[in-house]
Amino acid sequence: MRSDNRKARSYREFLYILPFIILVAIFAYFPLYGWIYAFHDYRPPFPITRETFVGLKWFSHIISNPVRTADVLRVLRNTFAMSGISLFFSWFPMIFAVFLNEIRCRPYQKFVQTVTTLPNFISWVLVFSIAFNIFGSSGAVNSVLTDLGVIAKPISFLKSSKHIWFKMWLWLTWKNAGWAAIMYLAAITGIDEQMIEAAKVDGATRMQIIWHITIPSILPTYFVIVMLNLANFLSNGMEQYYVFQNAFNQDYIEVLDLYVYNIATSGTGNYPLSTAISMLKSVVSVILLVGSNAVSKLIRGEGFI
Amino acid sequence: MKRLLSILLVCAMVLSMGLFSALAEEAPLTIDIYDAAANYHGVQSGWFAKVVKDRFNLELNIIAPQVAGNELYATRAEEGNLGDIVIVDKKDFSDLLQAGLVRDISDKLPECENIMRFKDQIDVYNKGLTGQEGVYYGIPSEMTDTSPVSLTDDVIYSSPMLRWDLYTQIGRPKLETLDDLLDALAKIHEIHPTNDAGDPAYPFTLWADWDGNDNMIGIANVVQLTTWYGEKIKQSAILKPDNTFSEIYNRDNAYYKITKFLNKANQMGLVDPESGEQDWNSVMNKLSTGRADLMWYSWEVGFWNSVDRLNDGTAFIFVPVGDQLYYADADRYYGSDRMFGIGSKVEGEKYDRIMEFLDWYASPEGCTFQHAGIEGLNYTVGADGKFVPYKDNALMDNLPVPEEYGGGGYNDGNNAINQWIASSICVNPLTGERYAQKFWQSYKDMTMTDMKKEWQETFDAEDSVDYMKKNNQLLASPSVDFTPEPDTNDIASLRVDVNKQLCQFTWQLIFAEDDDEFEMLWDKMVEQMDGFGYKDLYAFDCANYQAEVDAKVAVAESAAE
Repeated sequence: MRSDNRKARSYREFLYILPFIILVAIFAYFPLYGWIYAFHDYRPPFPITRETFVGLKWFSHIISNPVRTADVLRVLRNTFAMSGISLFFSWFPMIFAVFLNEIRCRPYQKFVQTVTTLPNFISWVLVFSIAFNIFGSSGAVNSVLTDLGVIAKPISFLKSSKHIWFKMWLWLTWKNAGWAAIMYLAAITGIDEQMIEAAKVDGATRMQIIWHITIPSILPTYFVIVMLNLANFLSNGMEQYYVFQNAFNQDYIEVLDLYVYNIATSGTGNYPLSTAISMLKSVVSVILLVGSNAVSKLIRGEGFI
Repeated sequence: MKRLLSILLVCAMVLSMGLFSALAEEAPLTIDIYDAAANYHGVQSGWFAKVVKDRFNLELNIIAPQVAGNELYATRAEEGNLGDIVIVDKKDFSDLLQAGLVRDISDKLPECENIMRFKDQIDVYNKGLTGQEGVYYGIPSEMTDTSPVSLTDDVIYSSPMLRWDLYTQIGRPKLETLDDLLDALAKIHEIHPTNDAGDPAYPFTLWADWDGNDNMIGIANVVQLTTWYGEKIKQSAILKPDNTFSEIYNRDNAYYKITKFLNKANQMGLVDPESGEQDWNSVMNKLSTGRADLMWYSWEVGFWNSVDRLNDGTAFIFVPVGDQLYYADADRYYGSDRMFGIGSKVEGEKYDRIMEFLDWYASPEGCTFQHAGIEGLNYTVGADGKFVPYKDNALMDNLPVPEEYGGGGYNDGNNAINQWIASSICVNPLTGERYAQKFWQSYKDMTMTDMKKEWQETFDAEDSVDYMKKNNQLLASPSVDFTPEPDTNDIASLRVDVNKQLCQFTWQLIFAEDDDEFEMLWDKMVEQMDGFGYKDLYAFDCANYQAEVDAKVAVAESAAE
């Protein structure tokens, strides 16, 4: 009787998670079916058949020629550099949230928060048109500088590859910092008031409270977010780089996702090669994940997978 | 309970809608048009929809890969049904036949008398496709009723065009070389640094978003200008005036010459600094607000020239440069680069109605709607039965159409298929004149302005083509039926890589600081392109286009006899 009950319960509990299993299967595992295109000489409108199977041809194609290999390495360099910069500055939204929280004048605090959160809802295409109007060769900045006689020729902010990684990080931060800070603001509200009160009684200054209470309390949140970012290290998205790319900065702005997109969609396009490269991305991501898990085990004594 | 109720309600609604539409008298039949030419995705609306519905009770659902993404081609082909009518690039059509996505139309096509006025061209194409006589699959688009070697237009696709008033103000200097053109443009820039609104104007304003398109690698603005020296880019190869191929990066070729020309222009401060970061839409805006002093596409003048500007002499017009040889395509007798076909899933009554529609599409009435517009809006009919231009801003200003066409804006309701079977230079049997307005006598009379007369006196010719012919500066390339081999995946990825290098370097070359940097970059570009395997791509393209060259030579020879 008892075992029957347990069985029924386990079925019922299985049904609870079934919708999620189905969702994951459809949206995370089923798309992997598309990987077979990397092993075929697929060209629309012809369907893939046994005859079109070419094995690892497209993978070896990547390393078949030193110039092409260098090209893929260039793209990887850009991807690592830009993700690396984001990772390196990942504390920025946290500090921003901490200082935002310190603003005593409530209306002003709300104002700052709204203004910094809003850009998150603007699409990259619009961000670029803002950039074009402000920093373009006849944009606002150049017009003012030339009218004042500071410069004779307009400065090509958008048409140069100088500091492009850092500039991209600045745009990304402008768009995302406010939004990313929300998570930390929530964590800060969760801090026990009593601790802060006690610290105040003991005569702690505001900086000391921040340093000894606020930041340690939200560090776990920070680590979770860093871990999540690490898993997405290679997927820094393509929209931003797609809108900002031009012939002058492409060498430094083309990241892996954009590269995959460009191969599949320019001219006749080559879907198999594009699929093969995007598969490599998954492989590298798994390596990164396992790697960071090992590091986590080493440092914290426990992994997260 | 609530949810159950709402589901029931939705079901009831769907059912009743189905019933109503079944009861309504003959609901229109929707046909899917997979259309590589369309710039509009969705069901055709407005006046053209009404014209088609009134005649055939059809609704046109346009599927546009240019709008909704090229991935549509792959996914719809995978499903086995591209559309009821398919309009694709010529190079894809034989693939569609092999993949079983288009149907045999040999039974119905011979009955379509309007389409069969182009029997010669249709026969040649289909014989090339299947190797059999009398078997039809595809209908070429924009065929003409002239001949493969005639040149009906009085302007060619690309030539240098200046604003007549500015050219007059600098004393109408005679131009012999590109350097003379640069000097003239520098003087024009001096007297015309801004437009009337005070925004900066430049002789050159370039855009990057068309690069690598239209079967040519390289940047569109350079590629187009190579035709000024009789050189035509065929993918990665340059076809020289003597019908031989040469590498695109060879320093003896026009691609180098034009890149150098633009670099020199930039060193002289004649290139808009926004070039390379702006897109075509921004350039279009500059053209129509007078912020560009040089135009090179024949249709570009449409953004500036108007009857008023032709009258006051501020319009753009061809100004010859002595050492140039202008390449022009002859009338497209065998049609343009796109094909019409019928999807393989189309059967029975639907098939009959689609063929009926297509035949009307090539009929005088259909062509008049496509090429001349609506009577009482775009034109009126004179006493002699010939057309007279009426509101020539109907398209530009989206004027409301007459009530009998259902109202709405003219441009909004314009034919979204955007591809024709009969070209606009065909003769309209109803009037005896060509379909396109620019050939009507009434239009010619209207535009014979002082400016045009001055131009004729200055250059001692009727029009630009007449000038080029008189001075042996025209290289007309005959129309042939030719379909390039589609790229294999290896070639496709090679093309992407090589094109990317060429485009990237060309932009940097145009903005190079001095000649030393220019030469250094050019060497680096050649090295990179070769590194990716340019030679293989070049060999593939030469082999591919040799057949076209041979056919053109044959047509030219037989015409000369």
